[in-house]
Amino acid sequence: MNDMSKDKNIDIQIYNFAYLDENTKRMIRRALLKALCIPGYQVPFSSREMPMPYGWGTGGIQVTSACLIPKDVLKVIDQGADDTTNAVSIRKFFQKTANVAVTEKTSDASLIQTRHRIPETKLKEQQILVYQVPIPEPLRFLEPRETETRKMHALSEYGLMFVKLYEDIAKHGHIETAYAYPVKTNGNYVTDPSPIPKFDNPKMNNNPAIQLFGAGREQRIYAIPPYTNVKSLDFEDYPFEAMKANFKCSICGSSDSYLDEIIVSDDGKRSYICSDTDYCKEQTQLNSKEEDQ
Amino acid sequence: MENNYHFSEESINSSISFRSLVNATSYPGRHFQITKLKKPNILSNAAATILITLCDNESNVYLSKDFSTDEVKDWLIFNTGAIVSDKQNANFAVGDWESLLPLDEFKTGVPEYPERSATLIIEESNYKKIKCNINGPGIKDKLQIELPNPELFINNSHLYPLGLDFYFTNDLDILSIPRSTKISVTNSEY
Repeated sequence: MNDMSKDKNIDIQIYNFAYLDENTKRMIRRALLKALCIPGYQVPFSSREMPMPYGWGTGGIQVTSACLIPKDVLKVIDQGADDTTNAVSIRKFFQKTANVAVTEKTSDASLIQTRHRIPETKLKEQQILVYQVPIPEPLRFLEPRETETRKMHALSEYGLMFVKLYEDIAKHGHIETAYAYPVKTNGNYVTDPSPIPKFDNPKMNNNPAIQLFGAGREQRIYAIPPYTNVKSLDFEDYPFEAMKANFKCSICGSSDSYLDEIIVSDDGKRSYICSDTDYCKEQTQLNSKEEDQ
Repeated sequence: MENNYHFSEESINSSISFRSLVNATSYPGRHFQITKLKKPNILSNAAATILITLCDNESNVYLSKDFSTDEVKDWLIFNTGAIVSDKQNANFAVGDWESLLPLDEFKTGVPEYPERSATLIIEESNYKKIKCNINGPGIKDKLQIELPNPELFINNSHLYPLGLDFYFTNDLDILSIPRSTKISVTNSEY
């Protein structure tokens, strides 16, 4: 049999550009545009099976795939880091299927796919930030029925969420929720910011970049357009507070970036480092420049 | 065999076009450029590109009277498989401003599913334009643009989160006014 793939005269593209077929992309693209028109509303979409397990960013990867253009410069982060398994695999996936340029620098990237962090470096207009979302419904743990949560969103009936936050205060003296802290988007829909630390919540507000959210297993897409009001839920007497570990990064010395706690010795000694590896590298370079002068 | 009525490289060109649409929808009131393609003369490049990029056999498309020609229908159905439909069922509608009126026949979604609403593609024509200020998501502070019958856009934004989403198309140029945009008329004479 004539093996066509070995014939160099025939250029066989193994994948469609950015993996997904055109019909799937059309369906996702329609959902994305409606999502941008209705900030914070979760648009259902018929999520495809992707060549990776659920929970590894199948939603994010489908959104990225639908948005990617050949001249994009892609950055992928997992918990702020460019060099963890999930980030490396997704970056390689799009290098292979879309042949796009990749970078670790936030400021050089035109599209950033992220799991659980917003980069420390300020984003710019027309940059796209794609979030991987495990549970897109902020009310799901309070009300398991989709028919009910859908009604609650339709009626802006968010009393239950405030009761939950109030119970936190009654039990612990403060709002215990430290990640996936619910926000209200454009004064209307309560939205799950994906499991980013609440330290990152203020960055969502009035951000010049385009924020897109994909939940593959749960089959939902939602968006926060640029310059959109995003308010973390709180009470007048218990205002929202972005917080982080009160230490300095032991690599770059930064005290204003979000820190990961790491255990460095058998007797449990702790150290703190920036979760955003690109930001940490940048700060380290700035420091060494200052020392040189 | 070359297909006369299509993107030259579908996958690449549709992605570039969609990116322009993402930008236009994200930054309402700003002009963005769309790629060229082969299409019926009566359609602008931008309107044709929106249809080709977004429509498939699940899309109901309403063509207003001047656009409801055999050439446009054949082109649309051949390239996308879309269904030519009436106003009430349309997901997408194409026409010049006057021919799309009245707007209240288009679907604006339901409270549980606000996305089940029509997207209107408005081709440039000599409609009377009125200066408006717009603000809202995607707009830094405010912008000034010109809109036909601003009262209809104001009514539409009052339906939020329901409502219609608009794209104004002119040759290669595209500008979006989604339902989330708030409009106020600057000229007091109006």
